[in-house]
Amino acid sequence: MDTFRLRVIAPDRIIFDSRAAEVILATNTGLVGILPNHAPLLTGLDIGILKIRTNELWSVVAVMGGFAMVHDNDITILVNEAENAKEINLQEAQEIFQLTQTKVSQADGRKENIEANLNLKRAKARLDAIQEGIKEGTAS
Amino acid sequence: MASSIACGSALKMATFEGLSAKSLGLRGVEPAGSVDVLTWESVGRREGRGSSIVTAGLKDLRDRIATVKNTQKITDAMKLVAAAKVRRAQEAVVNGRPFSENLVKVLFNVNEQLTTEDIDIPLTTVRPVKKIAIVVITGDRGLCGGFNNYILKKAEQRMAELREIGVSYTVVSIGKKGNSYFRRRPQIPVDRFLDAGNAPTTKEAQAVADELFALFVSEEVDKVELLYTRFVSLIKSDPIIHTLLPLSPQGEVCDISGNCVDAADDEMFRLTTKDGKFSVERETVRTETVKFSGVLMFEQEPVQILDALLPLYLNSQILRALQESIASELAARMNAMNNASDNAADLKKSLSISYNRQRQAKITGEILEIVAGSTVTV
Repeated sequence: MDTFRLRVIAPDRIIFDSRAAEVILATNTGLVGILPNHAPLLTGLDIGILKIRTNELWSVVAVMGGFAMVHDNDITILVNEAENAKEINLQEAQEIFQLTQTKVSQADGRKENIEANLNLKRAKARLDAIQEGIKEGTAS
Repeated sequence: MASSIACGSALKMATFEGLSAKSLGLRGVEPAGSVDVLTWESVGRREGRGSSIVTAGLKDLRDRIATVKNTQKITDAMKLVAAAKVRRAQEAVVNGRPFSENLVKVLFNVNEQLTTEDIDIPLTTVRPVKKIAIVVITGDRGLCGGFNNYILKKAEQRMAELREIGVSYTVVSIGKKGNSYFRRRPQIPVDRFLDAGNAPTTKEAQAVADELFALFVSEEVDKVELLYTRFVSLIKSDPIIHTLLPLSPQGEVCDISGNCVDAADDEMFRLTTKDGKFSVERETVRTETVKFSGVLMFEQEPVQILDALLPLYLNSQILRALQESIASELAARMNAMNNASDNAADLKKSLSISYNRQRQAKITGEILEIVAGSTVTV
């Protein structure tokens, strides 16, 4: 099976360093799917989910922004922070999401607005990740 | 024939079964005939007449010596624990290298594609400075010598400087020691209290970055300065001030005097041993910034990509500062505990000497009493 080298790196640790068959990125201009032998590409990543396919199984990771670089069948993804869907609790993710929603409505002033919206996006990414993970059967 | 021995009284010197004091080798004892022959000074007694006081002093000294010995064990252990943790802090910095290296490479390449007019990214906006956010990084625990004090003194210095030039400020305090310092001084405006923890991860760095991002982009502050101690030497502890925001699009790191270091140059610290003693080495690692061969397609405009890159850069800068601060704190603790151990050793030595002297004096005294008592002849 054709694979490419995939590395997902956070500021303090390497989250993933192995070979994968396909990866779906959430960029701020839409979803981008990468297959082996893709053309060289550089893209920013939004706060959203990253899906990695290895051996017909999809693993889902919530990423908090970053960028991806595709070059010579080697993909390097740098993220602010990432959380594997396996480690996210569905109930907790839903509660946090609702909490951040109320915070956004209560936000007062530009600074609070920025903060609240950021937290909302992150909570949504986590929730989406666990829901997607459950759908793919690699998380519960 | 010797009568019953009478101890503890000034006695007439006499011979006991033919043995004279002199033949027993006792000094400071007058020959027979004189009263009050025992000269306490000659046997080194300085205090007390009866043996009961001497015994109490001895026990006290013994207890004190035991306490000091225990304290020394503790300070020794703390020093070694701190040294081990410094190694861990070192590893954390090394673990962060893949991230910074790749980031710098891409930053370089994206900047190559940019022209100055294109750049309009919130994090790089240079505004006239009316208010500054000072991020003060201290430690969570004490017993580290002057570490926390130096930072807080430097912070006060900076605040005084800013007051003089008419710039207002707010503090973001990281670390329990700094937090309690600022809490006790309500006249200093503090924006946020955060905890540092022992091993800073990207989560802690992100929390700080969020706060600073919100402060800067909402234009509540026009500049963010980072105040922390770099891990330079085990003895010296010199806090530095870096300008964190606004970022330069090339990712340069500048201090407040305007001296900038290229983003590709990274300094890493290493705890090693030299001549059997711990020492710190810093080595500059330069990341190769090569232009990407071939056509690299930019999915978005270079400016948008830079917009995604710079928060990553902010995060890694903050994480680095936290890591350096922890390493410096551990080094200061190593030093403080080392000094404490040395002091404990000195104290134990002088206490032991004093103890032995008293012990010997007591024994000599008892011998003399026995001899004196036993030589009373009727």
